[in-house]
Amino acid sequence: MAGDDTNARLDEDSPLSAGESLALIERQQRETQRRLRVNPAVFYGPWGAAYLLGFGAVFLTYPTAVPLRLPGAVAAVIIGVLFAVATVVSIVTGVRAGRGLRGPSRAAGAMYGWSWTLGFCTLAAVNNGVTRLGLPHDAVTLLWSGSSLLLIGVLYLAAGALFQDRFQYGLGLWMLISAATSVFAGVPGNFAVVSLAGGGGLLLAAGYFTLRPPCPRR
Amino acid sequence: MSAIGSLPGLDPVIHAQARLRVMVALAALATGDQITFPRLQQLLDMTAGNLSTHLRKLEDASYVQITKAYQRRTPVTYVALTEPGRRAFADYTAALRALLTAPTDQPVG
Repeated sequence: MAGDDTNARLDEDSPLSAGESLALIERQQRETQRRLRVNPAVFYGPWGAAYLLGFGAVFLTYPTAVPLRLPGAVAAVIIGVLFAVATVVSIVTGVRAGRGLRGPSRAAGAMYGWSWTLGFCTLAAVNNGVTRLGLPHDAVTLLWSGSSLLLIGVLYLAAGALFQDRFQYGLGLWMLISAATSVFAGVPGNFAVVSLAGGGGLLLAAGYFTLRPPCPRR
Repeated sequence: MSAIGSLPGLDPVIHAQARLRVMVALAALATGDQITFPRLQQLLDMTAGNLSTHLRKLEDASYVQITKAYQRRTPVTYVALTEPGRRAFADYTAALRALLTAPTDQPVG
């Protein structure tokens, strides 16, 4: 049996003891989960970094207590690049996870993935539509940070419900709190909230799932 | 160590290393989900010939359902555990646990 060196000692027809059999089941279960399930950290990591650094950079384009001023163009490039990387990583991860599978879970996962695209496209349409009426610059900024965090929060609530994961649900609640806080923080404090609470929260969640991968669904 | 050999009360279709691994991998899928032959093969690190031999035995026992579908004119083979297969696997693991807890054995692994 090529490539199966962990079990090479036992040829496939040799009888297994009950203990060996149970150990084999546990080993194979771990291996299957590792290869079949995507650790949410793969999504949270790149997005957390993009929010933390990207909106941190935007925050630094304003005169703040921090003695560093970034030109707007620099912040725009940082945001553009990090968001593009995070988007590509998420799409590739999502598509690869569903490879060779079909059925209710696959459909649920695909529908959930599309919820992000549909939600953010609609959010952009709504916010741009409202902005066209002539909102003050600060109001536009607060509209975007508040509504984006709100949508992210709701989608994590949905993920928590869909994948029966209380941690993701809790992350959703955290994003909702951040959404409201960002609007009341005003400009440019809202960018600090998006960066530290939003991006920082995602990075902490990524760390949590890296140290403690999700348990198999039971 | 517990007794080596044909253990009483254990399903002989499942109680063989390669088929047991196939059963574990398929049982990890949610009910109603199916996996393609190549992805299952990759998941288990088995050769195609080896995997199809064991799948045939599991199919003969009605533990596994094999569905042939077409995707853009290419034939794709999907594999899934049947309801009796899922039950047989649960019974098998329960029997193993019973064997290990009943006598003086300490669990392995």
